[in-house]
Amino acid sequence: MSAMAQVARGVVSPALRSFEEQWQSRATDSLASVRERSMERFLALGLPSNRDESWRYTNIRSLNGIHFAAARDHERGGIEPFASVSLLDGAQRAATISMINGYPWLHSIDSVINEIEVASLKEIARLDPKMLMRFIGQPSDADNQRWALLNTALFVDGLYLKITKNVQTPLVILHVGIGADTDTIAYPRVIIEAAPGASATIIEHHVAQGERPVMINSNTHVALGRGAQLEHYRVFATGHDSAHFDFLDVRQERDSLCKQFTIALGGGLVRADMEVSLNQAGARLDSHALLVGYENRHVDCVNLVTHAAPDTSSRQTARAIASDTSRVVFNSKVVVKAGAARSESQQSCRGLLLSQEAEIDSRPQLEIHADEVKCVHGATTGRLDPDMLFYLLSRGLDRNTAQSLLVFAFLADVLTGMSVASARTSIENALINQMPDSQLLRNFR
Amino acid sequence: MKNTSLLEISDLSARVAGKDILKGVNLTVNAGEVHAIMGPNGSGKSTLAQVLAGREDYEVTRGSVTFEGKDLFALPTEERARAGLFLGFQYPVEIPGVNNVYLLKAALNAKRKAAGEPEVDAYEFLTLIRHKMKFMHMSESFLTRGVNEGFSGGEKKRNEVLQMLVLEPKLAILDETDSGLDIDALKVVSKGVNSLRDPRRALVLVTHYQRLLDYVVPDFVHVLSGGRIVKSGDKSLAQELEQRGYDWVTESRVA
Repeated sequence: MSAMAQVARGVVSPALRSFEEQWQSRATDSLASVRERSMERFLALGLPSNRDESWRYTNIRSLNGIHFAAARDHERGGIEPFASVSLLDGAQRAATISMINGYPWLHSIDSVINEIEVASLKEIARLDPKMLMRFIGQPSDADNQRWALLNTALFVDGLYLKITKNVQTPLVILHVGIGADTDTIAYPRVIIEAAPGASATIIEHHVAQGERPVMINSNTHVALGRGAQLEHYRVFATGHDSAHFDFLDVRQERDSLCKQFTIALGGGLVRADMEVSLNQAGARLDSHALLVGYENRHVDCVNLVTHAAPDTSSRQTARAIASDTSRVVFNSKVVVKAGAARSESQQSCRGLLLSQEAEIDSRPQLEIHADEVKCVHGATTGRLDPDMLFYLLSRGLDRNTAQSLLVFAFLADVLTGMSVASARTSIENALINQMPDSQLLRNFR
Repeated sequence: MKNTSLLEISDLSARVAGKDILKGVNLTVNAGEVHAIMGPNGSGKSTLAQVLAGREDYEVTRGSVTFEGKDLFALPTEERARAGLFLGFQYPVEIPGVNNVYLLKAALNAKRKAAGEPEVDAYEFLTLIRHKMKFMHMSESFLTRGVNEGFSGGEKKRNEVLQMLVLEPKLAILDETDSGLDIDALKVVSKGVNSLRDPRRALVLVTHYQRLLDYVVPDFVHVLSGGRIVKSGDKSLAQELEQRGYDWVTESRVA
């Protein structure tokens, strides 16, 4: 392999060398050929840089100098059950599956949890690799998929969920990143398959433990069968000094509906990619992003939605807030392929800047190769409305309270779209905790 | 003890977006009084109201204002409100996502906190609000809606008066609270305003037309024109203005 040879010659960075070391020391499995192709491409391309179109706003050069070890699984006994960090409150407790550094904690190799069939990817790779290959796909070297290539090459275990009925209670996947003494990286991998007509709500909640954060390279694949409906959440709530690269890949068949929420509440650097393919007529996407930057955090959300069949529709709504010296990026692109007649798409991003030093970049893009389509997009970024602020101040509210209230109101569009009341409450609480006068704000709900 | 007036405006001049709007306003308002400030469009009525409430982008260039003997301009907007100054907006802004009633509760608690009083009990507050809403002929749906969100013009004005009734200010400045109201709504709003008349309180009604003054009868009427008060009188002045228009006042000033 030429790329690997390059690594051996020492041309590449410590980071790439460490990924190559992880590759060399892996246990081989039935996915060897797709993993090899992925690793080869990844090493040939290297980490993305600002020269890559979709990484213009996010500089990860500093990662090149770090030597990463693969994050380990943890013994079950040694760790708290994470009940305190779960997104759902006691009143509506959902089933929760914990994944530690990408390793799922399951009672048996395959089982049914919350009416959803659950299995470990490691076991499927052993027992039914052909089935698994349906969801791994061919590696792409698009520049926003570099991390997905690395994940495909190096994920050890993961979670496969199959939804076959109309599941009422939400299922939470609690991703816990547990750091070590040295720099580590984890590769959580989740595959969600919904059978025709089935429906469920899945919440992926990313949190971190430990002093030194583990870098996360997570990857979720969603396949929705005919008429299936999924409400999917990915919530990033890791620490201020962590880095998280997430790739969400959604494939939709006829008349399926994916309602998706991407919530960035934490993480020093969060890069959240989403690619949705509306592959058959009547498929619908309703996506919401709530991106909160504060302190010196960096949030970069990139959506690519492809209308590949007629009569498909997509809606993307993003609300971005940046305070202090943070930066929030939202790029969305809609591609309407030839033949995808009567497709409809909406892209709307509103940004709210709360300090002089903060920055929000949003760029909706459209690429249309079909006739009779209806595509609209809009992006606005501004500061708090002075008329609203004056009104609240004139009623005696503290300036901090008034500002926090308006920020909260700004996000309300996204929050009210959430069907899972307890998830919404938890997310609201997490938001409120970041604002001044949190106690007072709590009374406003 | 010296009997200080509630509001004392002396030689007040103010500028908005680089343009001089107020050019030496003098006005004294004592507790128990109701003043009407009338005048043609563009005379500076709303600017005066906003300057008193503390609108930041309005620049005071000269003069002084005291509220209960204290320098009003030394207080930021929110502290003026807590001290008992209330502005009823001509165009109340819609704030979707901020609940109407919770705003009211926060406003009341801010005032109570400033006065060293405990926060209002949630149950008592709701009882109070329901009572006042009924008084203002407002539907229960106001409880759950965002601040002024989707309200009609008349509903917004009633909401302003509702807020005033709950906050019980010492000085209420009502900016065109009568505009855009049909006759029934005008009666309701007037009833609300009148219910607040009290020897310890004062009202300043900013209005273009005389019709509100048929229901809320003022003690004093002032005509603001070209950024100054050009004529003052009793309620008969309002009637005269209604009959003769503003021209004769503004002309007499020039002459």
